[in-house]
Parts: sequence; structure tokens; C-alpha cells
Amino acid sequence: MHANKQKQDVRTSIRILQAVVLLGFFVLIIRVFQLQIIDYETYSPLSRQNSLRLEVVNPARGLILDRNGKILVENQPIYSITITPVNFNMENVPKLAKFLRMEEDSVLERIQEARDFSWQRTSRLFTEVPFEVFSDIQENIWQLPGIGHQIESKRHYPSEAIAPHVMGYLREATREEYLKSEGMRLGEKIGRSGLEMVYEDYLKGEYGTEYLQVNAYGQTLGTYGNGELNIPPEKGSDLITTLDADLQALAEKLMTGKRGGLVAMDPQSGAILSLVSAPQYDISRLAGRMDFEYWQSINTNSHTPLYNRAIAARQPPGSTFKPFMGLVGMHLGIITPETEIYNSGAYIRGRAYGDLAEPGDYDIESALTWSSNTYFFWLMDRIGSDGYLNDWADLINDFGIGPRNQIDLPFEATGIIPDSTYMNKAFGNRWGIGDLISLGVGQGLVSASPLQMAVAVSSIANNGYRVQPHLVSHIQHSDGEISYTNPMKEKIDWINPRHLQAVQKGMRGVVTEGSGRFYANLRDIEVAGKTGTAQNPHGENHGWFIAYAPVSNPQIAVAVLMENSGYGSISAAPIASLLIEQYLKGEIERSHVLNYVLNFEPKVEKEEELLQ
Amino acid sequence: MFNSQEFSWSVVFIWMALAITGLVAIYSATQGPVSQFLPSYIQENFTRQALWFGLSIVVLVAVQFTSPRTFQGVSYLFYFFVLLLMVITLFFGVEVSGSKSWLRIGPLNLQVGELMKPATILAVANYLTSRRNISAENMKTALTALAFFAAPVILLILQNETGIAVVFLALLPVMLFWSGLPYGISLLMVSPALVGYFTVLEWYWGLAAMGVITLVIFFLQRRTWLTVSSFVLGLLVVIGTEVALHQVLQPYQRARVESFVNPTLDPQGAGWNVLQAKTAIGSGGLYGKGFMEGTQTQLRFLPEQWTDFIFCVIGEEFGFFGSSLVLILFAALFLRLLHMASTHKHPFAQLVIVGVTFIYFIHFIINIGSATSVLPVIGLPLPFISYGGSAFLTNTLMLAICLNLDLYKRSFSIYR
Repeated sequence: MHANKQKQDVRTSIRILQAVVLLGFFVLIIRVFQLQIIDYETYSPLSRQNSLRLEVVNPARGLILDRNGKILVENQPIYSITITPVNFNMENVPKLAKFLRMEEDSVLERIQEARDFSWQRTSRLFTEVPFEVFSDIQENIWQLPGIGHQIESKRHYPSEAIAPHVMGYLREATREEYLKSEGMRLGEKIGRSGLEMVYEDYLKGEYGTEYLQVNAYGQTLGTYGNGELNIPPEKGSDLITTLDADLQALAEKLMTGKRGGLVAMDPQSGAILSLVSAPQYDISRLAGRMDFEYWQSINTNSHTPLYNRAIAARQPPGSTFKPFMGLVGMHLGIITPETEIYNSGAYIRGRAYGDLAEPGDYDIESALTWSSNTYFFWLMDRIGSDGYLNDWADLINDFGIGPRNQIDLPFEATGIIPDSTYMNKAFGNRWGIGDLISLGVGQGLVSASPLQMAVAVSSIANNGYRVQPHLVSHIQHSDGEISYTNPMKEKIDWINPRHLQAVQKGMRGVVTEGSGRFYANLRDIEVAGKTGTAQNPHGENHGWFIAYAPVSNPQIAVAVLMENSGYGSISAAPIASLLIEQYLKGEIERSHVLNYVLNFEPKVEKEEELLQ
Repeated sequence: MFNSQEFSWSVVFIWMALAITGLVAIYSATQGPVSQFLPSYIQENFTRQALWFGLSIVVLVAVQFTSPRTFQGVSYLFYFFVLLLMVITLFFGVEVSGSKSWLRIGPLNLQVGELMKPATILAVANYLTSRRNISAENMKTALTALAFFAAPVILLILQNETGIAVVFLALLPVMLFWSGLPYGISLLMVSPALVGYFTVLEWYWGLAAMGVITLVIFFLQRRTWLTVSSFVLGLLVVIGTEVALHQVLQPYQRARVESFVNPTLDPQGAGWNVLQAKTAIGSGGLYGKGFMEGTQTQLRFLPEQWTDFIFCVIGEEFGFFGSSLVLILFAALFLRLLHMASTHKHPFAQLVIVGVTFIYFIHFIINIGSATSVLPVIGLPLPFISYGGSAFLTNTLMLAICLNLDLYKRSFSIYR
């Protein structure tokens, strides 16, 4: 081995190795430069997306309170366990079942369903799990990759007064609604009836957003940064209703096991104190995870518990129609307060129209007090024969009977006050006076809802004002601001105070001497009212009672419809009087009347029991 | 004895700098704000590494007081002793994540395969420098040297430590090259790896690499048989790689091999690590996200971030400044060591230093190449930086031997 040759070799070899090392160094530093400097804009957002998860924070839905601040509807947390099947290891099923305190098989079944639904998306595995289960899972979530949890809320009804037909229920928005509306999320629950529906925009609040830091296992590590990117949700506005929770609770109790509707309101303002439709349904069973069996049962029940009879029933008002007949008759000049009509026991016009009042002369006051039909048959005859039918219809409409009254509830129905157009349509132009006479006593084609009758009786109580019935007095926003609803109140200008006085006297007489004297005559509250019985060709007659009290300064007006319960004086009147007693006195003294009502049973078709 | 003038302080400085960088990165990867999600044995990694660092300083100093002749003298004994340890490990070793390569000695868990590196370098260096130059005609020496490598490689494969085995296979041509194996043959030895790598990128790149290598060999050696073997071997590698990728391997296996080229083939599986590693480094930008601020690191988007992917931690948290500093430190270390080798007169010392340099270099290229997806992911730690006590200790031991050989280069005569 020649020393020089070796030295030469070492020098060349070292150059080659140095070149290899430098080549490696430059390849890597160029690569790092490319990644960190040139492609920084590509990778920086990637890392942010990786570690941040944008989560929508549901706002708390607004509360619904009664007029005294009692909570009627609030929110209750419900705890759900979620699963993302792609991240879930099936070996963890026994562990998960243990935490859930459930059978492995049923857990497996649900997991299978979630897998079938989507492999990648997170879906609810179990909703409304008990809090202990929830906190157990929350603590051990690191042992269960792919399992998550969430807290949602459902509506809760803490009050004895449930008022399902007023409050309404929530249901998931349909796909169409979701696509139509901006800012709605799939699966979001929105108001589907009642105040929940009408005031949806106020109650729902505003979504918040939260940026969460997550790790590679999808575990949430809390809010990102100091939460400076987060937008807190805005709580929904609270509705302060005009309802009186105690009165509503009593009304619901009184209507249990019956069929019909009632409305109690402040006649001066139209503020609804109580609104009940019977049979009711258990609204709490529609909250949160919906009880589908129950939903099916109330949808198919022949007594249609979802139907709001208080605002949508169409029943002939019977004799409760008479006070308004009187006022219209006097305004049209057909009668005066002094006009007397002789009742012979029946009104004869082509045929005999029966009258149960004692034979004799009746003026408007006594005709109301004793509910003489002849007076009003005669009056209707005159209206029809003298060509006043359309005027009559318009004037009756002014009381709120017939048209919608713009209550803040959905699905309010119109009533029927037939004018000539309507009659033409109904009878194909072949109708005569004989088809009109029974309208005078609120039978035949005339029909109205309890709400319409409550609005109408209010205008007698408040000396001639048409009020707009309403359930919400004001809305309290989350920032503390309050917006008041602005219900309408209009003078019905054609009503003559002298005429009104006569009618009011007659209605007071109903309670003191007439058909209302048994159940509606209170010892120290002056009540005025009118009973009515709507003929029902399909079964037992429907009973009506409209009333207001105290006569000198009316604070409550009530309209009660009791389907298939016979005379209004024995079915509807006791209920109305109990509501007046409760509202004005704060308690019920006449326990015998209360017991009578509670034990009262309507003669409904017994194919199915009435719901609670 | 210890002449501080002669001592290569710069190498020690680089070693210190790399070790401290490693500790910082390990600290960040295991003690970050959300480290409570990590198992405790990983949280303890930092403390353990710091202890190994302390122990290594002792070893580094102690080795300087040894005679350089000792390394040559004990090289065979040491080699066969470690080889015996590896056989023992195969039967009595502790299995850690699929590899039965750990031997429990008292309180320490030792990865014997690591110790095999200095043992093999010393033994092979001793053997090769006691022979004449290897010529193309006399391949017996080369084949004996091959046997020195083959034994540990087989044992490592049996222990399921293929990563370290790759290091040995890559080191062999370098040591033979330094010992005088003709350049053409040396190149032929590394050509399958190069041609295979380019074939995975694209088959025509593999063909091009084969062509270039064959041409270079022709000009270097001008031997027909060598040129023809290079051509045939290269062609076989290209065809073999293509057949393996498209016919033999299952799609998921193929995705694993190719994921460094195209991670989106299998973003949830094999491509995941590659994507996350690139994202970590790329999102570091110029200055980095700051110490313990790297989201990819702290939120565990990177697997093995205290070992195989530790470069991502540095790249993400300290940016281009941090990562290029590490690259420069390594380049400086390699060049210093190669300079050391070239200025040494004793061929044994030269070969040992070159061997050690390339042990580091192979780890360096494969580790950072994997992290930056220049290479497919082969799990190898980054010397002095990655967590791992045995590796840190043996790497330091090898460096200490190089420093020792350099320190006594005047007294370490080539004449006995």
C-alpha cells in the first residue's frame, strides 16, 4: 500500500462523503423551506381546522309566565349520549353498557342503528339518560373513543295549569322549513302550535358559536384561546301572558272529563285570563324525546284532543245569541226597549216555533231574563222580511261573532252569521223567511266559538267596546327591554247606551230570576249572564253560558261551551260561575257546586273514554 | 494526559446543543398544557431523558481517559459480547410495542440493538484495517465484512427491529467504500435502494436512476461485467418494485409505501401520519407557534412525537428558524467528524469516525426525511434529540470514542 496513493484515496473519499452529507442536508433544508415558507398558507389553515371545532351553542328558549309572574313553561336539561361510529371500537360495547346500566344487546342494537344511519356522523345513541349515567360517561369518556355527550333542553311545565292549547308544543322543523329559513339548523325544534308557534321568533333566541379545542382523539379540551372568538347565545325572550295560573288550573280541573271550550277574559282589555279546550292532552309527553305512541293516540282519538275548541269550535250559540239580537233590533229601529211582544207559547209562521217561557207580554229585558223565544223569532222575522238581513249580519259581526278576532293563537276559526250571499250559497237561492226565523234564537246556521262569545259578551260588559282577545301582555327581552303588545280596543259606535242598559238588566235578571239563578247567582258578586242550549241533531244538546261580573264594574267575562251536556243552565253556567267566584274572590265557597261540576258527566258517544 | 488544546470542543458544543434541543422538544411533547391525557409513563419521558443525558455526560468524560488502543484491542470481544447479549434478548428480552429488543438490567431497560452499532463499527473497522485494500478481484475481505453485518441484521429482524437493521445495511457500503472498495462497486451496492426509491415515486424515474447509475459505474470502473450487472440489477429492481406494488402488495400495504408521495390515497390510515407531520411542520412557518403552543403537537395529532416525529415538534413550535438550526447543527457535526477522520493518520480511527458519522447521518436522513415526507416512514429516532435512553447513551458513547481517537491522534501511532 503506497502512502501517497492512500492519502490521495482518503482525500477523494472524504470529498465524496462530504458531498453526500451536504446533498442530504440541502435536500432536507430545501424541503423544510418548501413546507414552512412556500406552503405555509396551505398548512396553517389545515392545522387550525384540525384542532378547532366550531360548535353551535343553543340558546335557552324563552319562558312563558302567567300575569303574576308564575312560570308556566320553562326549560329542563336533558342528557344525551352520542356516538360517532367510525371512531368507536366495538370491543368497548360491554364497557359502554356497564356505564349506561343497560343490557349489552340493546346497546348493540342502538349502535347498529347509528352505524346504519351514518358511519361518519355523530348521532344520538340514547337521549334523556339519567344524570348519574351522564356524569359517569362524561368522566370515563377517554376510555370510550367515539362516544360523546351533549346537554340539550326540553320544555318543562312546572305549573298546575298546563294549558296545552295555549302553550302549544314543539316539533322538529321539516326539511322544507329548514331549507327556507336562514339560520335554522336541521333537527331544530320549533313551535308547532299555540304561543310556541305564534311567538317562535321571540322565544327561540339567537344561536351562539363556540370554538372548541379538540385533540386528535376528538376529545374536547375546552374553549379555544380566551374565548374571544366565541359568540354567546342570546336567550329567547320571555312571554308574560295574561293568563291567571290559578284560574287556569281551576278551569282545567272543571273541564276534566268533559268536552267543550271556555274563555275567560278581562272585558275591559280583552286580556285572556283562562282558555281551556277539553279534552286536553298531556303536553309534557310531547316535550323532549317525543312519546310517539302517545302522539299517535291523541292524533287518532275521536274526541280530537289536539283540536282547540275554545277558538275553533263552530256551534250554534243558542239563546246566548239573544242579547245581541236585541241590540241589533233596537239599532235597526224594529224594536225599542219598551216594545212588548206577546208569547202565546209558540211563534206561528208557516209552522209553530216553540217557546218554553211562560205565556204573556215580554219586553227586551224580560225576554232575556226568561229567555222568551217568541220575541226573537218575531224580531228575526222582521229583519228578514224588511230586508235587513245583510245589515243584521254586519252588526252582529261588530260584536266579534262571525269574524276572526285576531287572538295571538294559531288556527282561530271564523263563525257563521249567514247573510244573503251565504244563504244563496247554502240553499241555492231557494230560501225563505222560514229558514231565517230560528237564527233569531241562535239556532240553525248561526255558529260561533267560545272565544267569539267571550268577545261579544265583553262588549256588553264594557259598555260597547270591541276588544281584541290576547294572551301575551308583554315580551321581556334578554337585555331587559320590554315590548308591549298593542291589542286593539274600539268603540262600537252604533250601540245606544239606553239599549245596552236594557240588555244588561235583562242579563242580570237571568242570574237573579231566570235560568241562571240555580248555579250562577253568587251571594256577594253581581253576575249578569245568559244561558243557551244549542240543538244538536247528532246527540245530546250543547250547553252555553256567557256571563260577566261584577255588574257595576265588570272585571271578568266568561263564555263556556259544554258539548253534549244538555241545558247551558245546568252544564255551562256552574262552570262559568265558579270561574267568576275564583277570580273575584280568590277561593271557592260553594263546594257543592264545585263537586257537582267535578262529577258532571256529558252524554258523549262512549266509543272511547275522554282523555285526561 | 488530557490536552484541552487538542480536544474538539466544537463537537461537544454541537452535541450539547442537540441534546438540549431534544430535551426542549421532549418537554413540549410530554409536559404540554393537555398532557394529563397522556399515560404517566410517557409524561415521565422528559425526566428519564434528562437522567440519561446526565449519565451520558459521565460516559463522555470517562471515555476521554481511556487509551485509544483499547477500542481496537477489545473490538472483537466487545462485538461478540453484544452479539451474545442480543441472542439472550431474543429469548429473555422484554417486549415493547411488538419488538423484543429490550434487556432489563437492574433498573435500566437497555435496547441491546443500539449497543450493536458501536460494537459492529469497531469490529469491522478493526477487521478491515488489518487487511489490504479491497479490490474488485479480491472480494473475500468484503464478504467477511458482510458477515460482521449480517449477524446483527438477522438478529435485529428476528427481534422485529427492522428500522435499526436498515441502518446496518446502509452502513455497510459506506465502510467498505472507505476501506477501498472500488467506487463502482460501492455505488452498485447502494443502487438498489436509490433505484427502488425513485421507482416508488414513478417507474420512469426509477429507470432514469438506473440509467444514470449504470453510466456513472461505466465511467468509474470501465468493467463490462460491472456495468452489465448494474443495468440488470437496476432493471430487476424497477420491475420488482412495480410488480410488488401493483401485484403482490394489498392496496393498503401499497398505500403505506406510497403514502409519503401521496398521503391523500389513505388519509385516515397510512397517510394520516404523513399529512399530520407535514401539517405540523408547514404550519410552523418562519417563526413557529412558540414553545408549547404547537396545536398539532399539543393536541396529539402526531404519533410518536417524542421519537420518530420529534422533528415536527421543533418545526411546528420553532418554525423554519428552529428546524434549519437543527439541520445546520447536524451538518456541522457531520462535517466536523469527517474532517476529524480525514486529518487522522490511523486507518482504524478514520474508519471508526466515518462509520459513526454515517450512523448519525442515516438516522438523520431517514428521520427527518420521514417527517417531511421525502422518504416513506421508517421508524428511526433522531440522534441526540429523540427520546430514548439507550440510543442517546450509545450515540454519545460513539461520539466519545471519536473524540477520544481525535484527542490522541498524535500518540495513536499507525506503527505498533
